Amino acid sequence: MLKQKQAEEKYREMNKFSYFLLSLALIFLNSLCFAQQTGKLMVSFNQEANGREIVVRDSTYSNPFGETYTIKKLKYYTGQWNFNNRIIDLYTLINAASEENHVEFDLPPGKYREFSFLLGVDSASNCSGAQEGALDPMNDMFWTWNSGYIMFKLEGNSQESTADLNRIEWHIGGYKGPLNATRRITFNEPFEIIAGKTTQMEIVLNLDKVWDGKNKIKISEDPMCMTMGALAQKIADNFQGMFSIKTISLLP
Amino acid sequence: MKSGFTILILFGLLMLGIALISAVKEENSSLYKPHPMKLEIPKGWPNPPQNIFEKNELTLEGFILGKRLFYDGNLSKDGQISCASCHQQFAAFATFDHDLSHGVANTLTTRNAPGLFNLAWKTEMHWDGGINHLEVQPLSPMTAPNEMGETLENIVAKVKKDTAYARLFKAAFGSTKVNMQRILRALAQFTGSIVSANSKYDKVMRGEETFTAYELKGYHLFKEKCAGCHTEPLFTDNSYRNNGMPLNRFKDIGRQAITLNPKDSLKFIVPSLRNAQLTFPYMHDGSIYSIPQVIEHYRSKLNKDDPNLDPLLKNGIPLTLLEKNQLTYFIYTLTDSSLTKNKKYAPDNGIIMQQTFDSH
Repeated sequence: MLKQKQAEEKYREMNKFSYFLLSLALIFLNSLCFAQQTGKLMVSFNQEANGREIVVRDSTYSNPFGETYTIKKLKYYTGQWNFNNRIIDLYTLINAASEENHVEFDLPPGKYREFSFLLGVDSASNCSGAQEGALDPMNDMFWTWNSGYIMFKLEGNSQESTADLNRIEWHIGGYKGPLNATRRITFNEPFEIIAGKTTQMEIVLNLDKVWDGKNKIKISEDPMCMTMGALAQKIADNFQGMFSIKTISLLP
Repeated sequence: MKSGFTILILFGLLMLGIALISAVKEENSSLYKPHPMKLEIPKGWPNPPQNIFEKNELTLEGFILGKRLFYDGNLSKDGQISCASCHQQFAAFATFDHDLSHGVANTLTTRNAPGLFNLAWKTEMHWDGGINHLEVQPLSPMTAPNEMGETLENIVAKVKKDTAYARLFKAAFGSTKVNMQRILRALAQFTGSIVSANSKYDKVMRGEETFTAYELKGYHLFKEKCAGCHTEPLFTDNSYRNNGMPLNRFKDIGRQAITLNPKDSLKFIVPSLRNAQLTFPYMHDGSIYSIPQVIEHYRSKLNKDDPNLDPLLKNGIPLTLLEKNQLTYFIYTLTDSSLTKNKKYAPDNGIIMQQTFDSH
């Protein structure tokens, strides 16, 4: 009887001891991890027109040709980020109607001279079957009759539109060869990642440039773009010009 | 002292390992143990061009869930139209005796519903090949206003609400979570594993039966005059071809709408001839009613003035009336009753949807 009690006691002692060892091991492993510490990059997206933040189903804006319009939907994909040739295959659906348009990355500390992201969804991800998260077909950014993602979607209304109910509907998509409507958006703005700290970056989409960029596109002429092809390419060629970096700051 | 510390750490690591191993064991002992299923690749057939089950492991439980969804009219806006409404097993999963199929609220489709079998050997779906993966195929009929007419949000909500599904999702995917990806993957497990390879033709090829003299003549004619596009053993080469059909009342330009290439005008995918006896009427719009009439189209009626007419058809397909008959008899040997009567593909007890057998 006594012997058993002693054994139990001993067992408990041993147990305590092994917990102690376990915590030691965890501390040790933790310190290993600290040796390769990364820093965070938090990228947030804001959408503007006429120098103001875009509010969907609210304000009226005018494009550089004096055509006034309202916005119902403004959504686009960002993905395949490239930081110093480190490709991060993360897709995010930016939605002007949402408050949470930011992407976070863990990056090795150091100086980054330029970076880029893909506006849209790359061809492999367009033909990989049913997906979830940002690429879930429930997000209303997938063509069901000609499989593939809508890379950029703008919907609204304008008196200048000759389409039914004066609507503007741009569903810019296509991923194959000359119909590919994705564009790589490149920034030549250096930034630095410091171990254990967060660098915050604000990217602004200026919608004024979608009408007046490399190509001039008027609502009165092209209120609708629902298929891939020449018009979608023309609009996609204006994508790079829409984006700029507003601020880069190191969070304390 | 230092070596003692190292030993302590090593011991700690060992403990951590044991803790992790026991945690993993716990995971494995949970109830999620689906039964793997294998896609049947009939003897002498090519391997599928891509493994559609690579990211969507084919299991008995996934197949059963997919079958239930396939036969569930609740996925449509009015609760009446299931996948099986237009893809009826007794018609090799085409719509029996319909040129066009019926959608919600007395609507009509603009194309003929194809039979569903041997889909694992197809990389593109629809008559124009617009669908690039079997998993995303159902999105089209689900949302088309003249088919099931429903939103994807509502479909997920309705499946979540139907308590009978929770058990099936858990068995198939390990948890009761319902999302579009799981619905589509389960459907792909069902439709993608339907194989038709047991017709009289197959039995003859396996040496189990013999053709009649008429059928044999027809087979030789087939090899000489049809196999250029309807390649054995799938009886299609899955290419897109202009077969001399006129532009129809829907102005359906076929493949051109997908590629935007004018050279693809009026090109449609070559359909398999397997089970053709059951999938009448024929062509992309169901405008030709019988097999002899289809052969007559190739023999004398196709539009030879169309600059995009397939080069193989530039002289039509010359056949005597007797040969036309023999060819028809050969095509009848491609009917596979083990597909149309296979209980594996039939709705499970208790979920038979009335509209499945409703002839509209």
